[in-house]
Formats: sequence, structure tokens, C-alpha cells
Amino acid sequence: MLSCDNGLIGYGSSVYEKRATRTEYSYLAEAARAALASAGVDKSEVDGLAISSTTLPPDNAATAAEYLGLELSWASVSTAGGAGAVISAINATQAVESGKARYVLCLAGGAQDMAFFQDRMLRFNAAIADYLAPHGFGGMNGLFAIITRKHMERYGTGREQLGRIAVHQRANARLNEQALLRDPMTMEDYLNAPVIADPLVLFDCVLPCSGAEAVLVGPLDRVAKEKQVRVQAGAERHNHPVGEVAPLSGGWEVFRDDLFNEAALGPGDMDFVQAYDDYPIMVAIQLEDLGFCEKGGIGPFLEANTMTWDGSFPLNTGGAQLSCGQSGGGGGLITLVEAVRQLRGEAGPRQMKNANHGLVSGYGMVGYGHGLSASAMILESVT
Amino acid sequence: MTATQSNPAYPQPRETPTNAPMLAAWREGMLALQECDVCGHVFFYPRSVCPNCWDPSLTWITSDGRGRIVSFSRIHRGLPEAFADEAPIVLAEIAVTEGALMLARIICDDAEAIQSALPVRLLSKPEAARYPLPTFTLD
Repeated sequence: MLSCDNGLIGYGSSVYEKRATRTEYSYLAEAARAALASAGVDKSEVDGLAISSTTLPPDNAATAAEYLGLELSWASVSTAGGAGAVISAINATQAVESGKARYVLCLAGGAQDMAFFQDRMLRFNAAIADYLAPHGFGGMNGLFAIITRKHMERYGTGREQLGRIAVHQRANARLNEQALLRDPMTMEDYLNAPVIADPLVLFDCVLPCSGAEAVLVGPLDRVAKEKQVRVQAGAERHNHPVGEVAPLSGGWEVFRDDLFNEAALGPGDMDFVQAYDDYPIMVAIQLEDLGFCEKGGIGPFLEANTMTWDGSFPLNTGGAQLSCGQSGGGGGLITLVEAVRQLRGEAGPRQMKNANHGLVSGYGMVGYGHGLSASAMILESVT
Repeated sequence: MTATQSNPAYPQPRETPTNAPMLAAWREGMLALQECDVCGHVFFYPRSVCPNCWDPSLTWITSDGRGRIVSFSRIHRGLPEAFADEAPIVLAEIAVTEGALMLARIICDDAEAIQSALPVRLLSKPEAARYPLPTFTLD
């Protein structure tokens, strides 16, 4: 158990927009205000800050504190891309548990649109700028298309099987007013969508957007019992497997057993999964690596299950990035915020009946061919 | 064709002391890989130390320029402007003879002919001049 007494006591989201109408700090502050309000905690009580962002630098934890008028005893910026927000929340829980801070705001978001994102991808890191951008590599779409094809050819995974992730998540998003993409989507729509980077089509690729997410970590007894969300376990892994360019695993399998053991639970005990969904193939690989099905078995697993919020395997119950949009680093926190909503019973029209335990996973920081960082945490509703 | 036909609109890799020998070799139509003097690890992209054992004693070796497609994508949309006219661009994970894995373009008149496991070879020197990094074609 990461902590018995401290955990997630607040959550919030900003508005989502296809084009930035304000700065990254504005979106972060809007989400933070909502998180504080949901906990009944005042800004003056916040003494810890954990921002996950790849667009914040050269600003940092201290300059963020200055900008936002916070005085802090613990501060961090995670740059592990889409894995960073879950890592931030794990670290924040440990910071509160060890007494370094009492109330830690975990924030992630971005102020971007498609053009900003496409330009930034060319300079995402040195390996991409020097060894991929000169090839016209098609951005992350091209890289994840290579991984998708490899999984399809090695394990016989079908487009229609992977497509169920996008189609069912869209059904979830239709009950989420925050989602930018809420039009109905059938399997036929999915299969006939324009090809972006084969085998990926339009609905396999996230829409870069602006927005932010926030959670507040603090003493659980600060909020009513039904609002308390305990962090049972958390883990991260970077650059696994070493030396591969387009691997079919991402690092979750390395810590999976320890993660579930720490929570004294198994995959079958999870009422839902909120997985990092930059591309359906990575959701598929997360589910395999985290033990929800065997390696290579995701195709039949997806076919046998319904991934809607009221289905047999509730997955990304708010529509997540594939339907809400990818707000930069916020893509790694949208999953955690949705998990807290469900566990508090505050998910509105898409509220699950029995949401007591859930798994949230993160993934990101694409280097020379694939995402280098993986993370996951197991959460429990206290009531 | 000559080197003057390189496409200046393509993004160019930054030349550093670490990658200069690789870029110079490619200007001659060759693929230069690094081999660690201590552990024998062969790798791409260029680094100043061996990623396997961190030893800085590395020797440049010339690849035979051949490899096999591990996986690939035909990229139709979302390409930077400099590449848009060339869609679809074929980007592939390639296992070269010497054992290194790399991502590179495959130039092919018929993109539909590309398949995983097919053998590839480097472009000829005159063809190579257009492209900033080692680029392949079907063998």
C-alpha cells in the first residue's frame, strides 16, 4: 500500500479547445481551481506542486510557483511525457506520506493545436530531430503504425479488433461534455476512415488540443468518506526493453506482479481500466503487459469484451484522448481524473454501478521509435 | 545526379562531432555504424559512448548496406510540407546485416510492393545525394 491515510482528495478539468485561446498556465489554473473546489481546500493551503509537461521548460517547478503565486515545500516537474502525470501522482502521494508537503496539486495540460504539435514533434528530442525528422517520418503516427503492423503480423491482431477500442471509447465520450469528438462512430465509420499512416486511420490518431487536468493529493480525512480515493500501488519503468526500436511491450510487464501484489489484488479485481490511449495499439499492449490477457491475445480479448462504461470491460470510460483530444501532458492525467470521478460516484450519465477498484496507466516520451516511459497505479474507493 | 540535387527543404540533422563520420559516409552513399571496442555491440544512431557498456572506445564500421524490413508504414497524411508531394512515404524498421536496428525511408515507385521481411539495400551514391540520412530501396 502506497499510503493508507493519504491519497486523492480532489480532481478537476479545464475546458478543452481545438485551438489555444490562452496560455498553458491558464488551463492548468482552471483545472487546479476545480480540483481545490472539489476537495474544499483553499489555494493558500497548497504546499506541493507536481507538474507533468514537456512544453513547460525552460520554465520549471519554481517558476511555475512564482507564476501561480504558490509557496511550496515540495515541487517537481516530470518530463516523462504521457507517463509523467501518473508518476507525479505517485511521487506526490509519497511526498505527503513522508511529510514533505500536506496538499500537493498534480497538474498537466497544454496550450496547442495541430500545427503547433506537428512543428514541435520535429524537435521533440535530439534523436527525433536528428534521425527521424529528416526522413519525413510522419510524426508519431508513422512510428506507431510500424508497431501496429508488427503486432498484427506477429499475432494476427485484426484492424476490426483494435478498432473496437476507438469505437467503444467514442460511445463513452458521447456521455462526456468535455469531449471534443462526440459524433457517433460505428465500426464501418472506423474502418472506412481516411488512411493516415497504414495501417492507422484517422480514428486511431489523437487530436492535439488545448486543456488541462488536475488532481489534489492530501490527507484522506480532509474530505467526506465517499470522496476519498486511496492509492494502493504505483510503479514506473523507463526504456524497457533496452535497445529495441519498435517493441511490442512497454515496461508494464516488468512491474505488473509487484504492482498487484502491493495492492493485494489481481487484474480480475479491477472494475475498470483507464489506459493511455495515444493509439489503440498502445492500449492493447498495456492491457497485455498488465496481465488482463496473455501477450498476443488482445485481439480475441477485445472481440469478446465490450469496452463501454457499462460493458464487460469498462475502459477509458470518459472517452479519453481518442475522443476528448490530447492536451499535451494532460493526456497522461485525463485517465487519472476520470478514475477519481468514477470512484467518487461523480461521473454523471456514464457513472458505473460498482466502481471500487481501478487501474490507471501512463505511457509516453517517444524517442527513436517508441515511447520510453511506462507507469501505472491502482486506486481504491474508500467507501 | 550530383550532390547539388539534395533537397534543401528537408529538415537536416545537426552535424556534431559524434555523428559527423556517419553523415560523411552517407554523402559517399555508405552506412557507417559504430562498434564498441570492448563489448562488440553494433548500433545506430550515433552516440559518444556504447549504450551497452558505456565505453567511449568506438570504431566506425561500414555496413554492407543490406538489411531486412522488420515492419513499416506507408505514410499518406500529416507529412511536413517538404515531403507532402512524395506521399505515401515508406518508413521502415530495418535490421541491417551487422545486427543494428534502424528506422529509415524506403524509396520505391510502387509503395504497395513493400512487405515485411523483404530484403533492402542502400540507395546508390547518385540517388543517395537527395536524402539527408541513410535511405534504402528494395533489393
